[in-house]
Amino acid sequence: MTRAAAIESALSYFDDGGYLAELGPRIAIPTESQNPERLGVLRTYLEQEMIPAFEAMGHDCQVFENPVAGGGQVLLACRIEDASCPTVLGYGHGDVIRGQEGRWKNDRDPWTIEQDGDRIYGRGTADNKGQHILNMAAMRHVLETRGSLGFNSKFMIEMGEENGSAGLHQIVSENAEAFAADVFIASDGPRISPDTPTIFLGARGAKNFDLVVDLREGGHHSGNWGGLLANPGIILAQALTTIVGPTGELLVKDLLPPPISNSVREALSGITIDAGESGPEIDPDWGAPGLTPAERVYAWNIFEILTLTTGNPGNPVNAVPPKARAHCQFRFVAGTNSEEALDILRRHLDEHGFERVKIEPPPPGNAINFKATRTPLDDPWAIWVRDAIERTKGTPPALLPGLGGSICNDVFTDILGLPSIWVPHSYGACSQHAPNEHILMSEFRDAIEIMTGVYWDLGEDGTPS
Amino acid sequence: MSRQAAIERIDSYLNGGGFLADLERRVAIHTESQEDSQIGELHRYLDNEMEPYLNEMGFSCEKFENPIEGGGPFLIATRHEADDLQTVLSYGHGDVVRGYDDQWREGLKPWSIVKDGDRWYGRGTADNKGQHTINISAMKAVLEERGALGFNVKILIETGEERGSPGLREFCKAEAENLKADVLVASDGPRLSPERPTIFMGSRGVFNFTMRLNMREGGHHSGNWGGLLANPGVILTHAISSIVSPKGEVLLKGLRPPEPMPESVRNAIRDLVIDGGEGAPEIDPDWGEPGFSAGEKVFGWNTFEVLAFTTGTPNKPVNAVPPTAEAVCHIRFVPPTDPNTFLPCVREHLDANGFEMVELIAERECLNATRLDPDHPWAKWVVGSLEETSGRKVDVLPNLGGSLPNDAFSEILGLPTIWVPHSYAACSQHAPNEHILESVSKDALQIMTGLWWDMGDGNTPR
Repeated sequence: MTRAAAIESALSYFDDGGYLAELGPRIAIPTESQNPERLGVLRTYLEQEMIPAFEAMGHDCQVFENPVAGGGQVLLACRIEDASCPTVLGYGHGDVIRGQEGRWKNDRDPWTIEQDGDRIYGRGTADNKGQHILNMAAMRHVLETRGSLGFNSKFMIEMGEENGSAGLHQIVSENAEAFAADVFIASDGPRISPDTPTIFLGARGAKNFDLVVDLREGGHHSGNWGGLLANPGIILAQALTTIVGPTGELLVKDLLPPPISNSVREALSGITIDAGESGPEIDPDWGAPGLTPAERVYAWNIFEILTLTTGNPGNPVNAVPPKARAHCQFRFVAGTNSEEALDILRRHLDEHGFERVKIEPPPPGNAINFKATRTPLDDPWAIWVRDAIERTKGTPPALLPGLGGSICNDVFTDILGLPSIWVPHSYGACSQHAPNEHILMSEFRDAIEIMTGVYWDLGEDGTPS
Repeated sequence: MSRQAAIERIDSYLNGGGFLADLERRVAIHTESQEDSQIGELHRYLDNEMEPYLNEMGFSCEKFENPIEGGGPFLIATRHEADDLQTVLSYGHGDVVRGYDDQWREGLKPWSIVKDGDRWYGRGTADNKGQHTINISAMKAVLEERGALGFNVKILIETGEERGSPGLREFCKAEAENLKADVLVASDGPRLSPERPTIFMGSRGVFNFTMRLNMREGGHHSGNWGGLLANPGVILTHAISSIVSPKGEVLLKGLRPPEPMPESVRNAIRDLVIDGGEGAPEIDPDWGEPGFSAGEKVFGWNTFEVLAFTTGTPNKPVNAVPPTAEAVCHIRFVPPTDPNTFLPCVREHLDANGFEMVELIAERECLNATRLDPDHPWAKWVVGSLEETSGRKVDVLPNLGGSLPNDAFSEILGLPTIWVPHSYAACSQHAPNEHILESVSKDALQIMTGLWWDMGDGNTPR
């Protein structure tokens, strides 16, 4: 009964096809939370797959209905061994984005896993089914090897993450006692490179909104009216250039975060961003000047134009268009005055003479609004997880202050008051949120070693008190 | 036999229902040149309507196939009275834009005329069947009153104008001898104000081009890649903003007219009142070239527009750095601006400002700018005739703000070109509910009758 034995047992399971045998049937359940017709399928995932699996691991399961109409359920599985042991809250989401059938390479079916060399394709392999299934398997091998976990486990599976985690904050707030724990350890998102184990401690926030110039009804003949009628496309383009510079620099001072702290700078100093062979090429001159690529993604704010439309792009006519709309995104790190971001932007536009540019709510289909969160780099639990991974791999993992992307991490840090430790198993070019989503077997094999080691060590002495 | 009698004759043509009957027959022919299937209707318009009508007025007619495949036919109708008389070339187009049959107001239909108060609704009433019908009928009134016109006439009817006038220039080149004349007098487009006659002598040119960025394959998650990957939408807003100011002023020197506005042009247009009539949009006084009057902006200067812009997937937005961005840009320009210099100039400007990655694609069709000096003897002569008939001041535009294939006449045939428009700005040309105003048509029939009468009087510029 040793740590090494638990890891060995987990690796045999992985190598002998046990992992893919568990993954396949779960990918086959089309849990598209953005598709209202799939509400019943979300429940199936919990009832048919998750609840039996957790019960087999000695967890009691409780399903919370969503207070938001059309929102997916939340499962909480608990195994309390001893009140004096630390309690660890795990997390995963069983829902996925739309399948995008027909757009996958080689006409692959998103709901059938398929191996091609090191890659396993399928919707949800990376985000997030593959990741929580792997963590559950790692925990199971600790349980089987040791006979008990040696710690208390609470594990929540959310079914609405890709739909903005509607209702999640309310469910957790109203049941804070049920979800209470000492630390949050979970897996989602990408490593900084496929062969670099990674920990991140929070996430950038994100707020979407629209900038709109709506001047009049209908287009007007550009020959008769050009020069007399203001062109909303030109006004909006000019307004945007005062917000973000020609090389992507955010120009609105009050939307910037406080200077990057030395500890964050130091943590990011050795980190190079590598999306793997099929990742996009980084533009070295883009973004905030004077920052490294890692600092730009993990420690700074950015303004993106996600879409911009004026006129009739598919069939342009010679007319002054009546309106222009840009769907924009502000991503920000903890410490940014994000609550007032839209007021700051309003003032900025007015000061630059763009009173005619209105700030409007984003389209409901892409209305994300995430808080930025960050657990301190020197948090005892962060250091403990880092050391646990080092015990397995021999070298410490990359430790990031936050993820570049945004997750509902404030549920864990702000509502439950937990240190949040994320150990991601995917990689940058996994085509998450696109056709051809996949994971790398080599990376996931590495991950099951790491997670088995972490869960083993949670049952040993030496956890932060 | 007098000018006044000719004008009374045209009044009774209108009041007696002659104009309505002629126009009704013409509107009923579905001459939608943008629909390939309607090519037979284009021929029918010339064969069954124009030819018999003009033959009866003593014209000899010849129909020509379009030198460009799929383009509609041309008709040249000639009435030659004497070698030593002036020869006028007139022009009209028998084709119309699509009927959009379902989109007209309740009770209206594109292919027959419905009268509602002062308005006569129907496809082609304004653009252009109504206008050339007025000119031909006015000519007929003079012919009947005087027994002869007193001048020679050639009428060119095109049937592909709404499709971009395919083959018109080639045809004019090939038939230059056949189309030889002393002056072009024709009608299309709107009056500046419904209450007063307008003449214009050319048109602004138009040049469209696309600015495009294609940075990479596919979008990339803005959380993982925002700040690392250049956003083509951001770059394109900057590229556009370096060309045109927040208030619509053209910043790039090479896109502005190469010389200051001529004094004669400025005098003609400075004080023009732009009145689009009921339903017209409100003018933004702070937009466009600073210090210019509305007339100077639209008739005397170059403008840059963004017609369309797109980046990302606006119908299904996702949180990703978009891979591409595209803007369709548009320049309207006055003489002597040379459109051939536009693209090299924009290229050089973008390169010099770090926008090498912006691709430029010119659109094939470009209409040249044309203009006649408002002091030209023919312009003054026409204004004199119109003012005598209407008793009102004529608005004189060196050129139209919009664009016409006028270079076929001014450049290829080398004619002074005088356009006398009979429509008005809110006529819904190119849209459902196209119409003319009976009051304007009555005025137009009178001034054209007066003009043709004076043309045959012999006191014309030589």
